[in-house]
Amino acid sequence: MSILAYNGGSVVAMKGKNCVAIATDLRFGVQAQTITTDFERVFEVGPHLYIGLPGLVTDTQTVLQRLKFRIKMYEMREGRKVKPRTLMAMVQNLLYERRFGPYFVEPVIAGLDPVTKDPYICALDLIGCPCEPADFVVSGTSSESLYGMCETTWREDLEPDDLFECIGQSLINAFDRDALSGWGAVVHVIEEDKVTTRHIKSRMD
Amino acid sequence: MALQALHGVDYHCKKANGLEDDENVYLGNMSNQCQLYMPPLSKAESQVGEFLVDECGRKIKLNFAHGTTTLGFKFNGGVVMAVDSRATSGQYIGSNNVKKVIEINPYLLGTMAGGAADCTYWERVLAKQCRLYELRNRERISVAAASKLLANMVYQYKGYGLSMGVMIAGWDKKGPGLYYVDNDGNRMPGNSFSVGSGSIYAYGVLDSGYRWDLSDTEAQELGRRAIYHATFRDAYSGGVVRVYHIKKDGWVKISEQDCKALHYKYAEETKTA
Amino acid sequence: MTLQCLIGAKFNDFVLMATDMSHLQSIMVQKGDDDKMYKMSSNLVMAVSGEPGDTTQFAEYIAKNIQLYKMRNGYELAPSAAVHFTRHTLATHLRSREPYFVNLLMGGYDTNTNTTELHYMDYLAASVPVKYYAFGYGGMFTLSIMDKEYRPDLNQDQAYELLKKCTSEIKRRFLVNLPKFRVRIISKDGIKDLPHIVAEGEPA
Repeated sequence: MSILAYNGGSVVAMKGKNCVAIATDLRFGVQAQTITTDFERVFEVGPHLYIGLPGLVTDTQTVLQRLKFRIKMYEMREGRKVKPRTLMAMVQNLLYERRFGPYFVEPVIAGLDPVTKDPYICALDLIGCPCEPADFVVSGTSSESLYGMCETTWREDLEPDDLFECIGQSLINAFDRDALSGWGAVVHVIEEDKVTTRHIKSRMD
Repeated sequence: MALQALHGVDYHCKKANGLEDDENVYLGNMSNQCQLYMPPLSKAESQVGEFLVDECGRKIKLNFAHGTTTLGFKFNGGVVMAVDSRATSGQYIGSNNVKKVIEINPYLLGTMAGGAADCTYWERVLAKQCRLYELRNRERISVAAASKLLANMVYQYKGYGLSMGVMIAGWDKKGPGLYYVDNDGNRMPGNSFSVGSGSIYAYGVLDSGYRWDLSDTEAQELGRRAIYHATFRDAYSGGVVRVYHIKKDGWVKISEQDCKALHYKYAEETKTA
Repeated sequence: MTLQCLIGAKFNDFVLMATDMSHLQSIMVQKGDDDKMYKMSSNLVMAVSGEPGDTTQFAEYIAKNIQLYKMRNGYELAPSAAVHFTRHTLATHLRSREPYFVNLLMGGYDTNTNTTELHYMDYLAASVPVKYYAFGYGGMFTLSIMDKEYRPDLNQDQAYELLKKCTSEIKRRFLVNLPKFRVRIISKDGIKDLPHIVAEGEPA
């Protein structure tokens, strides 16, 4: 079993029309054993800016804490909020610092640019190789099924409500084929003037 | 049979030189289900599960339904058997709708845990043997005898990588019967068993709620609850919870409920309690 | 996964913790009155299992640092802050040459917010708040019982009875003999011992 799959968990992010969405499952487990079903692995790290950290949960927590520290240092030094692409570079630096003993997380970033309001999504591998496609990014133990779901359900310029439906259905139907993810989901839809967070009930087995 | 003989097909063909011959390939285990081809390896114990390797050199998982929760227990009103329905290969969920209770005949049930193919095959062979016994002896086979037939058949292949942990339950002259049989050759009678990766969780609920004098509905609910709690905690168990009840005049299928529906039903009950 | 057994459950007004009292060495029970729970502060208890030696060393290191914090600052660390410090220490050591192999449950009562807290932390330093959890192979038998019977509003006697149900299942099904459990309660009044849960025929 891969160390990335030790605790289970999946994250997906999608672009829409002037909006982005990021969704996660809620399982925290140790191999086959489910321990809690309220573990959110997507975190707000700025205005209209979220990061998902699926992988080994100890590293999810360590990376989040170190990242929050770096973001705060940046904001104090620069006197402004961090932009999505800047965050990506920060995460890249943070991960590559451990090139020879990596943190076992594969982050997903979703946000809106504070100036241009452009939607931004990005996924990185565990040593910080970024991937910035125009449609969607997936990460975690259900990533293979998520690719299949997203390839078929995603369309260009979805409105926020349609984007929610698209990402929610993709995630739930993907993790229902994965033993290590699931047990509920959370979706954040990020728009220029608001962020909508919804919990989705799903299979609990 | 007669037509077969006319065509010159020998039902009990022999291997003259130890090589696979056409006739043997032709009949295979059609004539004798207990005669399976042995792997072409020098070692007696084959590691079938180990020589299957993918293009990257990783081992391919052979056993299909390894993650499972099944249980059976005897009580005042007969035998209750309850199972989940998930089949996984690795972390991938192959199916959430597998039948893990095998209906051998109207008085006998078997459960599946371990290799799905192993369990279905050997329990089908067992069903045939049980039917033959009935025709020969003009009475139904006992649970003890049926389980022993199965145990003896799989014991022949000990060390060849069969993977099964099954329960055989039924009702015979002696009343309710419940036996556990596995690929090591173990066969034991008992009042309650649980088999599979989720069995530890199922045992927790089963043991703490078990009494000999449970009512029928209480017993069925206990089995259902035990499986449900196992599906919640164990990643490799899930799907639907199937409950069977074996009484004096044969088995009855009590319920087949989706785990999702059960979860939210039980959650609602806890909230209002 | 270890042979030792730690159980913790959080209720509205108190946290109950139970740990087995056997200290196992090789094939022997070396000690029958072991205490696997360590007092961190007046309202916080840590139950530890894992590699013998690591468990005591780690628990005492954390306990002394929490006490040092109180001496320096004149007030105690809140339970959640203490858990954060523990996770940080464990995570830092994880990527060193000598990681600690300890799984732990931290149960406490936060006197500032008047809430109970229970935290799960495994040897990889993954830390999550839980309502109840049980570590070790023995603990696995009890999880489904807790899933079925747990209510946050149980009173002390009902909670103690639930624990007894769990330990009796461990006695029935678990390979290793764990005849005695030490039980502690953490509430706004601090940490108190409750009677040991003892198997029948075993001297108390």
